[in-house]
Amino acid sequence: MTQGLIEAARAEAQAGGGFLAVGRLHRRRGRRLLGLLLPIGVLVVWQVAVLLEVRDRNRLPAPVDVLVALQEFFLTPSRPTLSGVVPFVGAGWHHLGASLERTGVAWSIAVVVGLALGLGLGLSRWFADLADPLLNALRAVPLFAWLPLVIVQFGLGESSARVLVFIGALWPVVISTADGVARVPRQHIETARMLGTPRSRMWDRIYLPSALPEILTGLRLSLTLAWTCVVVGELSGITWGVGAMMNAARERSGTDQIVVGILVFAVVGLTADRLLRLASRRWVSWAAT
Amino acid sequence: MSSTLTAHGLRLSFGDLLVLDGVDLQVSAGQTLALLGPSGCGKSTLLRVLAGFETADTGALTLDGEDVRGPSPLRGMVAQAGTLFPWLSVSDNIAFGPRQGGASDVRGTVADLLAVTGLTEFADALPRQLSGGMRQRAAIAQVLANRPPVLLLDEPFGALDAQTRLRMHEWLRSLLTERPTTTVLVTHDVEEALLLGDRLGMISARPARIVSERALPFGAARGRHTLGDPEFARLRAEVLEAVLTA
Repeated sequence: MTQGLIEAARAEAQAGGGFLAVGRLHRRRGRRLLGLLLPIGVLVVWQVAVLLEVRDRNRLPAPVDVLVALQEFFLTPSRPTLSGVVPFVGAGWHHLGASLERTGVAWSIAVVVGLALGLGLGLSRWFADLADPLLNALRAVPLFAWLPLVIVQFGLGESSARVLVFIGALWPVVISTADGVARVPRQHIETARMLGTPRSRMWDRIYLPSALPEILTGLRLSLTLAWTCVVVGELSGITWGVGAMMNAARERSGTDQIVVGILVFAVVGLTADRLLRLASRRWVSWAAT
Repeated sequence: MSSTLTAHGLRLSFGDLLVLDGVDLQVSAGQTLALLGPSGCGKSTLLRVLAGFETADTGALTLDGEDVRGPSPLRGMVAQAGTLFPWLSVSDNIAFGPRQGGASDVRGTVADLLAVTGLTEFADALPRQLSGGMRQRAAIAQVLANRPPVLLLDEPFGALDAQTRLRMHEWLRSLLTERPTTTVLVTHDVEEALLLGDRLGMISARPARIVSERALPFGAARGRHTLGDPEFARLRAEVLEAVLTA
């Protein structure tokens, strides 16, 4: 009897059909190609606007100008610069590394604090009643409203940049963790208690894994926001960082260099999001429908 | 290992709604009591009280003479919705209970239960990759891994199709014969109650009380062949009539 059931289940698992799978693969490839159309369209419109001289070349560089600047930024050997001057030529990897390090450290702290706060809000009615009004009020404050206070407290420079990234990245982690924990099905909690899970270990054995899909969604959003906030944090008082480079480029009207900065942020942001999405799929494959 | 579960005068209300109205029952060690009643009569609530998830307003509930308070690995419950953790593989779900008790090497227990439930080849599968019948067998294995003296089953096969349900009845019956466990099964399926129970209790419409109880005469080896037994057919008609007029 048992063998029969196993065979039936195998057949069930293999069902679904090769043709359907091939069809799905073709559709997926088609969708990916469709996603390339818009960037190509933007590039064409951009080039046409340059050829028609809609704006002068200093304000609207040609795509090829940006490519040259990109090559100078990453591939040309660096030149010595005066102290305090934000370099561009050959400084790409150094700027990028500084921004990534700044974002990574502040984001990691935001994740740890956000997970702790979110778990507290989701697990303890008492803590939620105590902290929810204040946290909701703070969450509603726009990032730019924090900027003056952060600069007064930490001065222009490294610390302020990290604090701004921390503030920006914190809330999605708090909210997604609290929501995920609050939505843990009652049957999981009861089953765990019935199977002997001590109350003190429910948070890591049941709540955290059960809420992981929501938490990872929050982490993705948080990482995107952290990457956005680092630009704001690097706007002044900092020599190394992609945001600092863009701000320096603005002062010398280097529009092509500003566009290079935008491209770097876009590519790194997209890559980080894709990596986290890949990790999400791997860690929470059980939640796939 | 099995124990005697005794309830006396269990009464429970949710606000103004009286759900249990003086439930008395006794399930001897190793026996299976099938409780049959109409939908919404309070069967599942009664089982939740026996599991310790709800506390009766009045009455006494004991296991081998000891008061029952709160959920415990001594009383394993399997519900229709299943109790597997979706993020754990089948083998990790089965190992979950023993690990909570501090057991470090649970491979033997897990291998044994995988074999008993016919899921050895699906040890690494996630619950969502299993069929409904497999999921319920895995859920029963998960609960049995703690070696509970009492097993509480709340319409565990209610979501399965008729053929799979019959296979599950045969499988569970042989499992309970091999490993005698004090079992309370609540169901609204007359056939299920007659195939699995050693005794049959009839529950009234809400508020729930056990209005009658009788021993079932079909012996240990029950299965599809039992369905053709004239005594089974007669009893099924009689019980169905009693449920419909309850």
